[in-house]
Amino acid sequence: MSADGRILKVSVWRSDAGAGFFQDFQVPANQHQTVLDVVSWIQQNEDPTLSYRFACRVGMCGSCAMMVNGKPRWTCRTHVKKVLVDGFMRIEPLRNLPVIKDLATDMDVFFDKWIAAEGVFHPTKSRHDAFASIKPDNKARIEANKAVECINCAVCFAACDVVANNADYLGPAALNRAWSLVNDARDGAQAARLEAISQSGGCHNCHSQQGCTNFCPNELNPTASIAGLKRKTIAAIFKRGQHA
Amino acid sequence: MKNNIDRHDTDILIIGSGGAGLFAALHAQKAAPGAKITLAAKGLIGKCGCTRMVQGGYNVALGNGDSVERHFMDTINGGKWLPNQDMAWKLCKTAVERIHELENEIGCFFDRNSDGTLHQKAFAGQTADRTVHKGDLTGIEIINRLMEQVLSRGIEKLQEHRAIGLIPSKDGSRLSGVLFIDMRTGKFRLVRAKSVLVATGGGPTMYKYNTPSGDKSMDGLAMAYRAGLPLRDMEMVQFHPTGLLGGEGTKMTGTVLEEGLRGAGGELHNSHGARFMFDYDAKGERATRDVVSRGIYAEMQKNNTSPNGGVYISMSHLGPENVAAKFPGMVKRCADSGFDLAAGKVEVVPTAHYFMGGVIVDPDTRTGLAGLFVAGEDAGGAHGSNRLGGNGVANSTVYGGVAGDVMGAGFDASSTLSEPDEHILTAEIDRALHPISQKPGNFHLLRDELQEIMWDDVGIIRSKINLERGLRRIGEISDELMQMGVAGDNLAFNLTWHDWLNLQSLCEVSELIAKSALMRENSRGAHYRDDFPESGAMEDSYFTVARKIGGEIDVSREDVQFSIVRPGESILGEGEPETLVG
Repeated sequence: MSADGRILKVSVWRSDAGAGFFQDFQVPANQHQTVLDVVSWIQQNEDPTLSYRFACRVGMCGSCAMMVNGKPRWTCRTHVKKVLVDGFMRIEPLRNLPVIKDLATDMDVFFDKWIAAEGVFHPTKSRHDAFASIKPDNKARIEANKAVECINCAVCFAACDVVANNADYLGPAALNRAWSLVNDARDGAQAARLEAISQSGGCHNCHSQQGCTNFCPNELNPTASIAGLKRKTIAAIFKRGQHA
Repeated sequence: MKNNIDRHDTDILIIGSGGAGLFAALHAQKAAPGAKITLAAKGLIGKCGCTRMVQGGYNVALGNGDSVERHFMDTINGGKWLPNQDMAWKLCKTAVERIHELENEIGCFFDRNSDGTLHQKAFAGQTADRTVHKGDLTGIEIINRLMEQVLSRGIEKLQEHRAIGLIPSKDGSRLSGVLFIDMRTGKFRLVRAKSVLVATGGGPTMYKYNTPSGDKSMDGLAMAYRAGLPLRDMEMVQFHPTGLLGGEGTKMTGTVLEEGLRGAGGELHNSHGARFMFDYDAKGERATRDVVSRGIYAEMQKNNTSPNGGVYISMSHLGPENVAAKFPGMVKRCADSGFDLAAGKVEVVPTAHYFMGGVIVDPDTRTGLAGLFVAGEDAGGAHGSNRLGGNGVANSTVYGGVAGDVMGAGFDASSTLSEPDEHILTAEIDRALHPISQKPGNFHLLRDELQEIMWDDVGIIRSKINLERGLRRIGEISDELMQMGVAGDNLAFNLTWHDWLNLQSLCEVSELIAKSALMRENSRGAHYRDDFPESGAMEDSYFTVARKIGGEIDVSREDVQFSIVRPGESILGEGEPETLVG
């Protein structure tokens, strides 16, 4: 390692089936080190039992998010310089998700909610049909595109206080995906989707505190997406009332 | 004798959750609605693997002068006449249906032209604007949408399940199931199935610089080799010329800085500030991946290197604002790790990217072992000696879907699962537990050493002397690894145990690569021998076949069958222009 002599003081959450504690490590610093590099260095050099998760290394897969000094971040794309406070950082598993061991969380609840929010495309055409002709300046498509580049890293899910306080809340990522589909002219299940996101754990729980938007590493705006869903559901109720 | 481990049964078992695995699950369910389908992945479903990391896009002929025939000819020419032509043809032909399925049924939305039609661009080696894409993050769109479909359909998930061994039936006539480690608990689990798809992806991470996802260690090919299956083109490792170079101990090192940077006018400079690529090729930085990789490697051999041992890519002459506007993802990615791509120079190095070799399969993804199917990067043949940019994700999605169709169609509810060969099961369990019985040691240094050896001796430029030295050193590393262990007091989510197993898979496949590279005494596509620099006559093309015979690697040559087109000929119609790219 091209260490430059500096030492990072790192405190890492350790837990195995329940109770946990912080364990301190000293890690040699180097020029181009990310938080993930620090975690890997500890596992490979200091404590071979440290558990964590990563895959792509470059901010495409969303497997490696953790709490770093209390804030949710992709560890693979977070340079140590950005988070270090007086040469120190504290690393914990992502908030609002059950911990499997140490820094690795069980993300199933996050994906279950993604599906529960109808974050799934429902086709109206088949592989034997022509592509939908949709121009890039189509207003709904522009709205869908704004929300679509989510890598489901659950950073927003961890940042959200509503998720922390309401186990039923679908959360920002799932609702953001639902919003991109609400704006997808090709989708055939819009009524069911609005129904799904209007339920007790749905979009109306959002208090617009913007934790999701402030922390999204891809600079998406789930708060705006959820606001869009709120408008849409209210309009749908109004419309139903008129037809009744 | 029956091993005391968890046993689990299903009908159709799919290993891997990239483009091939996810498509296979969806197609199998559609073809056999009554079958129980299980999807196992080494990481999280939809998150691990490499399809997600596809930047450029998806090659498919959609008219406007382009045709399946033209796509096929480009694939054969790009693969230097080594591809299995029936597989290449099926790839090009089925890609048309698959891309429509991705858009119309799965929900992907690809970039459009101003008239609302799909936008297509041309990558190197293509004679038409053929690559469908979603910005430069095409893989995320494809995998996210596939993942949603799979997660919403009641397919059984075995996440963080690492496949350890293919277990044949007692009488050896077919595959019984697959042995896994449930990584979360550290316990073994045998999953029996009527049919199994291996779609773990290749991923040549035994090289010092490599692009694949961190979970990749070529377990699929190592398992297939141990099960006695023949593997073809194992010498064919594709290097991408511009991997990010951040120094030792940085996981970002080796990851791809996209092809488009060179296409847009990016320059490569050595440590003296000289723009060297024109010394090697008239096209300079815009030459094909293999040529640029060899050019950079040659500069490195001359020690004209940057502080971390590579060269520089420089974009700033194009105007930092322009660069930032045109390549926002790349600029941000570099900035996050402390590099200024828009206004500064960034150190780069060639990086092992894709594995063309793989298990010999037929165009229906069947292997020589009944009940076993292989698709995606684990299967050899479609690309020959070189894969065109944009043909990788087309290959995994096309053949994953084919595997699902074929496994589903063959599903018979009344047939029974076969009993596993308990001796082979025991041997595989013992193999996986071997490091637990040894004194713990820092084998991570061995991985570094293996990566150095492969880089130096079995890398971009090869020779008999180097390959033989490489083989010796791989053998030494393998032996040393067997003496080094992992503390076994807690095997739950024990990454160090898996690092050990990863390294063993990589050692096994490294030996296969080196032996196959020795057998190929010419230079084709990704394989370059400086003691045999000529390509050899195309009519006499052969491919290498490596398999386990009597516990040893046996490598032979087989003639390429020109089943559709012969060298020097074309299936393009009379008067078709050589290229449609202006």
